[in-house]
Amino acid sequence: MMNNKIQYFENIPAEPENSMILARLGYRKNSTEIDKEHANMLKNAIHLGLGLCRLQGAYGYFDITEKTSEYVKLENGQAFHSEKLAKLLESSQAVVFMACTSGTAITERIAKEVQNNNASVGLILDAVASEKTDAGLDWLMDFINKSLKREGKKLTKHRFSPGYGDLPLSDQKIIYEMLKLQNIGLQLTEKYILIPEKSVLAVAGIERIGFDE
Amino acid sequence: MNRETFLNYLQNNVMILDGATGTQLQKQGMPNDVCPQQWVLEHPETIIEIQKSYIQAGSNAVYTCTFGGNRLKLEEYGLGNQVVEINRRLAQLSRQAVGANHFVVGDLAPTGQFVKPLGPISFEQLVDIYKEQVQGLLLGGVDFFVIETMMDIQEARAALLAVKESCDLPVCVSMTFNEDGRTLTGTDPVTALITLQCLGADAIGCNCSTGPNDMLDIIADMSQYASVPLLAKPNAGLPKLVDDHTAFDMDADTFADFIPDFIKHGVCLIGGCCGTTPEYIAQIKQKIKGLKPVVPAKKHISAVTSAGKTVFIGLDQPLTIVGERINPTGKKKLQDSLRNNNMEEIFHLALDQAEKGAAILDVNVGMPDINEKEAMLNVLETITGSVHTPLCLDSSSPEVLEAALRIYPGRALINSISAETEKLQKLLPIAAKYGAMFILLPIDDKGVPETAEERIKIINDIYAQAQKYGYTKDDIVVDGLVMTVSSNQKAAQETLKVIDWCSNELQCNTIIGLSNISFGLPAREWLNAAFLAMAIGKGLSMAIANPSGDLLMNIKTACDVLTSKDAYSKHYIHYFSQHLTSNDGTNNNAASKPVTEQIYDAVVKGNKDGIITLIEIAIKEGHDPSQLVDLFLIPAITQVGDLYEQRKYYLPQLILSAETMKTAFEYLEPYLEKRSSNSEEMKIKIVLATVKGDIHDIGKNIVGLMLKNHGFEVYDLGKDVSADIIIKKAKEVNAQIIGLSALMTTTMTGMKNVIQLAKQEKLECKFMVGGAVVTKKYADEIGADGYAKDAYQAVKLAKKLVTKKPR
Repeated sequence: MMNNKIQYFENIPAEPENSMILARLGYRKNSTEIDKEHANMLKNAIHLGLGLCRLQGAYGYFDITEKTSEYVKLENGQAFHSEKLAKLLESSQAVVFMACTSGTAITERIAKEVQNNNASVGLILDAVASEKTDAGLDWLMDFINKSLKREGKKLTKHRFSPGYGDLPLSDQKIIYEMLKLQNIGLQLTEKYILIPEKSVLAVAGIERIGFDE
Repeated sequence: MNRETFLNYLQNNVMILDGATGTQLQKQGMPNDVCPQQWVLEHPETIIEIQKSYIQAGSNAVYTCTFGGNRLKLEEYGLGNQVVEINRRLAQLSRQAVGANHFVVGDLAPTGQFVKPLGPISFEQLVDIYKEQVQGLLLGGVDFFVIETMMDIQEARAALLAVKESCDLPVCVSMTFNEDGRTLTGTDPVTALITLQCLGADAIGCNCSTGPNDMLDIIADMSQYASVPLLAKPNAGLPKLVDDHTAFDMDADTFADFIPDFIKHGVCLIGGCCGTTPEYIAQIKQKIKGLKPVVPAKKHISAVTSAGKTVFIGLDQPLTIVGERINPTGKKKLQDSLRNNNMEEIFHLALDQAEKGAAILDVNVGMPDINEKEAMLNVLETITGSVHTPLCLDSSSPEVLEAALRIYPGRALINSISAETEKLQKLLPIAAKYGAMFILLPIDDKGVPETAEERIKIINDIYAQAQKYGYTKDDIVVDGLVMTVSSNQKAAQETLKVIDWCSNELQCNTIIGLSNISFGLPAREWLNAAFLAMAIGKGLSMAIANPSGDLLMNIKTACDVLTSKDAYSKHYIHYFSQHLTSNDGTNNNAASKPVTEQIYDAVVKGNKDGIITLIEIAIKEGHDPSQLVDLFLIPAITQVGDLYEQRKYYLPQLILSAETMKTAFEYLEPYLEKRSSNSEEMKIKIVLATVKGDIHDIGKNIVGLMLKNHGFEVYDLGKDVSADIIIKKAKEVNAQIIGLSALMTTTMTGMKNVIQLAKQEKLECKFMVGGAVVTKKYADEIGADGYAKDAYQAVKLAKKLVTKKPR
């Protein structure tokens, strides 16, 4: 049985790889040519973006009580109807829900830059925030994995997010409520969109480490 | 037990600690879901039996059963108001179990919460939480303390300060490292060792997480820099889950085979963690028979740390650059940022200097009309949460320095301590308490001494005072005191003499505030660079400077090779291979081109700020505005599109050029009013919107910008726009195209609603759609006329749609 206390983080120390930010912007190492002036502008915008993101996060464990190839049911009775998620969790006894957000300051700045005829900077900030949020989730997974290892457990290799595959975006509401994400300032719209914009929820399974691993 | 007897004991004996307690309690019937501390108090015979069995197996010391005995953990069971009592009674039970001839070790462990900036709890709250537990353990009569299974260096520091501020008993700190050799929050073994050793831990080591084989590597790393005894409590191999129970894969014999190597590396306190039993302890006792402890000797190292990095300083190390730019003197932008507690500028300065090669960052926030202490703590929270570079805390206020040293998650460098009587008396004990290195500033109450001889006398005086607090010359860095040569040309020589004496006679580290040398003179970078090279020649170990200066960093990099501090010139080769590449692509002949070509280039290069000036010049030179558009601006933006398609440009370049074009168009608009309107594109009207329920609109905004540049008349309705508003606007302006965006699966259905409503209203117009989750297939399904995956494709699609006949 997992301790399902929710853990919150105020400033996750995760930094995205520069190459990931550039790739998101369409930069190709072997073909894209940028001069020194642009490289400087890019660097400053990336620094600005990294400085404006405040990575907050949360995670919590929940036991699986029932699962089929079509759905997974948790200890509190909540069920997720997704064949792909059920497949991901086929060897799991519990799940971990995770959330990560880059905060409001970066979103506001992106809008401001675009409005002020600085869409190029806005675009770079947007890529930084997306990558930083993903890096935050990677950090959380790494953190959780290290904690689980002490108990002979590990996370599934992949994570899954509502809105991808057959896991409906509306399931964000279930995760939002289970993690009590209002505690880190997140809101959910009636269309299940997270505010601030650069926020992600994810689920991964908890498996046992076998003797042959 | 005091520190001296503790050390004496370890110089003569390897202290055998106990093995696992939790798993043993479970074997005795403790259920999984109870508070272990409370259960043990209700079943005191169990812990007494377990601890007796460890003593019988050979343990010299047992840990109190107080792993979860802090307030935060006990609160989970509604016992937060009984911390002192529970800890007192548990310590007494251990004493009852082992008697007076064996040691009872007060056990402090993680609270499960993280300290700011990572978590919600303040450093001071955490210190208080541990002090409360220490109080109970002291009342229970423990012999010394162990802070164990620490995953976060900041939590370990808080617990260590709590013990040291509560009593004089010895205290050990045991961190836990993962397979990657770092703690959960990213601290490596050497950094943890240096930080905790300097903060006053009496023994340092590690427990849990790994078996003895991996732990031995960690201990070997630590032993190179340890000046205190080491401690190790490995698991019985690696954990596996068998039938819902955690099992470990190493037997007692195999486990014990590693023990002699631990002792060889300076481990003087050895036991077992998860999965170990009295059997393992008995094997340890067998293995250490006849072995003498090897207490690590005092190491002569100069090092500062952050939470995740150690920087070594010294005569045998490359020159250490301390970035000087986080200092508000003369910097209005930084002053405003500090006043408004806006950390963007600080973050940028920290990251930029670290990237440029500063190994340490000086942090000075002193300025009039600011609460310096508050500002310093805010800046530290920002930097330590995001940049790994260790910090040099720069303030003239002892109060500010103490507050900063307390929360700084590593070993800091203090800038600075002089012989000014009041400051010396206040700062030395503070620096010593937190184990910080400090910059020794050779000035006294009389001011700045002019000659090297006078400075050397002050250096000796301060050093003598510092030694009383346990400082050695490894822990200090002497400031050579750089004075400007514009007022006294001999000043440089006096500084060099001080550096020479410190490096060769006293054999301690030296530092200079480099840029002072050239104050008041032109072309300062040459004087700075020449003086830096001369000082390095005298043995200089550090310089406070701006790492953004290429000349300076080039000289430093070259000097490190010439002074044999860059083995195989590895860093030199790496540095210059990168540096030369990044200088490519500049065009110094731009100004010699005709202005029209410069306009073309400005669009291609995205020179948004310069294009209006160029157009003004062109108009003054008599160029026709229409021709500027047709012959230069449009071909330029077409060229940008080609470069983008060839992937020579990436998205920000495309957009920057589009913005430049837009700026040019806006400026030229009044001139172009007379321009004939026979261009097809000029007439095309497009309504753009992000559909109802969706708030992600940066992609749509960029599409709008690109379309405008290609002559479309764009009506951007924004985000979260309902179908009826979109249709109404399309009718009102007689739009030929409606462009819709959506990012999410729940909102993309809004596109279909708009298209259906348009059909109902018999609106003759084309639909183009896009957004992260939208596909060509979906576009076809909902009856859209086209799908574009990005802004450039959207322009192409729009052009294509208007050349087709209406539906």
